Amino acid sequence: MEKLLDMAKKVCDQAEIYYNEPNSSEVIFQKGELHDIESQFQSGMALRIIKDGKLGFSYTKNLINRDEFLQNALDSLKGGVKAEYSFPLTKDLPELNTYNPHIEEVTSEPMVENCQEIADEVLRKTDAELEVVGYKEVNTVRILNSKGTDVQTKIGTNGFWMSMVYPGGGAGLERVFDKKIPFSLSKKVLNKLIDLYNKSSKELSIKSGKMKVLFMPGSMYTLLWRLSSGTNAKSIFEDTSPIKNDIGKKIVSELITFYDDPLDDAATGARSFDDEGIATTRMNIIEKGVLRSFFYDLNYAQKLGVQSTGNGFRSSMWGGDPITITPSPHLSHPRIEIGDKYFEELVAMMDTGIILDGVMGAHSGNIPNGDYSVGVSPGLYVENGEIIGRVKDVMVAGNVYDTLKKVIAIENKLHSCWGGRMPALLCDSISVSSK
Amino acid sequence: MLQKLKKILQKADVDYADIRYEIKKNTFITLDGKELSNIGSTITDGYVVRILKNGGFTSVAFTKETDAEKALKTAEENAVLIGNTIEKPVKLAHVPIIKDTFIPELKDDPRDISIEEKLELLCHYNDIPLSHEKVAMTNMRYFEVTREKYFLSSEGTEIHEDLITTGIGGGITSKEGNLVQNVRIGAGGSDGFYTLRDLESKFEERTAIVVDLLKAEPVKAGSYTCILNQGLAGVFAHEAFGHFSEADIVESLPAMREKMKIGNELGSDVLSITDNATLPNQLGFYKYDDEGVAVRKVNLLTNGVLTSRLHSRRTAEEFGEPISGHCVAEDYRYAPIIRMGTIFIEPKEKTLEQLMAELGDGLYILDPKGGQTSGENFTFGAQYGFLVKNGKKDKMIRDINMSGNLYKTLKDITAVGNDLKLGKTGGCGKGQTNIRSCHGAPHILVKNVVIGGV
Repeated sequence: MEKLLDMAKKVCDQAEIYYNEPNSSEVIFQKGELHDIESQFQSGMALRIIKDGKLGFSYTKNLINRDEFLQNALDSLKGGVKAEYSFPLTKDLPELNTYNPHIEEVTSEPMVENCQEIADEVLRKTDAELEVVGYKEVNTVRILNSKGTDVQTKIGTNGFWMSMVYPGGGAGLERVFDKKIPFSLSKKVLNKLIDLYNKSSKELSIKSGKMKVLFMPGSMYTLLWRLSSGTNAKSIFEDTSPIKNDIGKKIVSELITFYDDPLDDAATGARSFDDEGIATTRMNIIEKGVLRSFFYDLNYAQKLGVQSTGNGFRSSMWGGDPITITPSPHLSHPRIEIGDKYFEELVAMMDTGIILDGVMGAHSGNIPNGDYSVGVSPGLYVENGEIIGRVKDVMVAGNVYDTLKKVIAIENKLHSCWGGRMPALLCDSISVSSK
Repeated sequence: MLQKLKKILQKADVDYADIRYEIKKNTFITLDGKELSNIGSTITDGYVVRILKNGGFTSVAFTKETDAEKALKTAEENAVLIGNTIEKPVKLAHVPIIKDTFIPELKDDPRDISIEEKLELLCHYNDIPLSHEKVAMTNMRYFEVTREKYFLSSEGTEIHEDLITTGIGGGITSKEGNLVQNVRIGAGGSDGFYTLRDLESKFEERTAIVVDLLKAEPVKAGSYTCILNQGLAGVFAHEAFGHFSEADIVESLPAMREKMKIGNELGSDVLSITDNATLPNQLGFYKYDDEGVAVRKVNLLTNGVLTSRLHSRRTAEEFGEPISGHCVAEDYRYAPIIRMGTIFIEPKEKTLEQLMAELGDGLYILDPKGGQTSGENFTFGAQYGFLVKNGKKDKMIRDINMSGNLYKTLKDITAVGNDLKLGKTGGCGKGQTNIRSCHGAPHILVKNVVIGGV
């Protein structure tokens, strides 16, 4: 890699190499039985070069021929993609605890045993159509650039994903649990979930109307995508954010503090630098309802005349292979600050309403404007503060900025979920439509 | 290349093994508004090995040739572990041994066109919406993906097939005050660059729609009778029905499998749905799947009755049904899974005017904006629509998201048009992305559609 960087330095003004080595394996249980084991040994490298204010880019899975790899990047300079920023010199990053060597002990066999235990317990106590996936990932990321930056991290994760589908209905309760160390799921956590499933198994019909909706962590990406779109430097630059001029203004309930916390190494996957080698920080996007900051990568920070906030990541809405994606502004570790209510207390506060445990169609609709209109998948129904069943063919709709004005209480715990770590959020008077 | 793969597989002591090596070439151009934000060409490659041993079936993906031995060893160990754990050993359906090289014929080969010309064309199209004062932003991309695939199995099948997919796609955003609206545009296909020429009128039409949307009214939440246009009905065929024709999905859901038994009457008798990836000159075209099985036409639903489904070799054996050649991977990073090829609702006799008259009062909704299924429930968005009063198009509406239940909706399709159209861009995410997922339909009339509104 050092050799490639030297070669690139000779023919360009600036160069950067991003290297990753994701190794993973997962065991998949269906209907209580081991169904498949899949493993991946991957590695890849992406090169960015800047010459005369223009960007060149290439990537490869196998660095067989350095000259050809560099030539691909040089060829793409001709396209004329503007790059008026400089790669950073990053040193003295905080040491984060992201990799515990014991993670290597998580081979297929213990994962199979753990998943079997989960499956046996769930199937003994419920009629759910169960899928359980146990996984282990170890990923190495290294970034070198011509300024002298050479940063590296190794991240280990052990996790379980499970889905308990109501028979015939298709929708189910989905959960993900992850840690930096080998673990098995506690019976207490599992039995809480089993209890939630059993309480909500009865199918009910309801009338359309406005009611309380409890957004569970599994449905929070619906709101997160829209908030991220509105506070992303790209939307600010392109003038497609409805809150472009609202820094310092109160835009949602004062209960909401929305922040990015890449340095939180109590959770999995902490990062002290972004995919451009910039040091990350904990940053409030919305603080007690007031819009504080947008988030930037190098490119959009330069265009907008500010500093990168360390949010340049090689990621897209759907994930994807990092080496193939150029960095763009991305909230890597979003969270909403926890409140003071246990989940059970939130349910008791609801009188009548829907627990939106998961959604369908979060990617449809007018994301830049903050609008959402999602199918419940599933939606648990609460009456007099008690879960009495679940509803089908029901949609929940609103606008993220309006919905977050209606927050009345927040759960006292963060849960791993798609896109970040979130608590459950109880909102009043949300539009619910049904047949 | 096949010789090299043979050498790798020789080391495996197994009941069945296959290996797929792929070279993937990407050419990409991205414009955000006037600004070029990404351009280039690049090549990546990698291997996927699948192994059946002692009744356990498993896969490993790897990129370095030097990891081949480790990968095979891991796959063998995992296969044995599965074999020792499960009650019913995995078997693969018998398939003919194939030795073939298939390089598709292209009209206007995109690889012969310079990246400068591609960029110029994309900029030319992109300028059409950008020249309108109400258009705030465009995000346009050109993509060209070549999969050069080499497949070899221990049974003796040896296939080299190339798939070349080209497309232009993106979004156009209009803005007035704080109101932001967007529409999508897409074109492309599997048989050459000609599909991307002469698209000016299409860009003009989409621009007019996104500008008109600024004046459209949000649809009121409720239950409506709707006419879905071809693009939207195609998404319905894919999302609401198609995924449950995939054997690996119903396999894991016993109650669903019971409902999806061959011979069950699921839909109204006007409804027939077919998957036919052998149709030439379509986005979804291919010859062999990533298990080395030739794809064939499958009549999934015939006059409302379930007649067949899509299979891999494993599920065909498990269900005791014929193989279909639908086990496809995104690329060298993945083992194949069951995917639709070109799925569509078969056309019937009615014209759009006749359907409108039959509708009377309701909604005419058009063009997909993403869809998703979860079990038998589905949700998808329409980019725009119109109120229909007395069989006539009335005011334009926006913010249309519909949801429904597969079985109810299949019965609620009461009329099917005569104007079948297949999509030019697809894309389906089921763990992996399938950029060739193609769907289509004629106009259809559906009762009791739940619209979420905002």
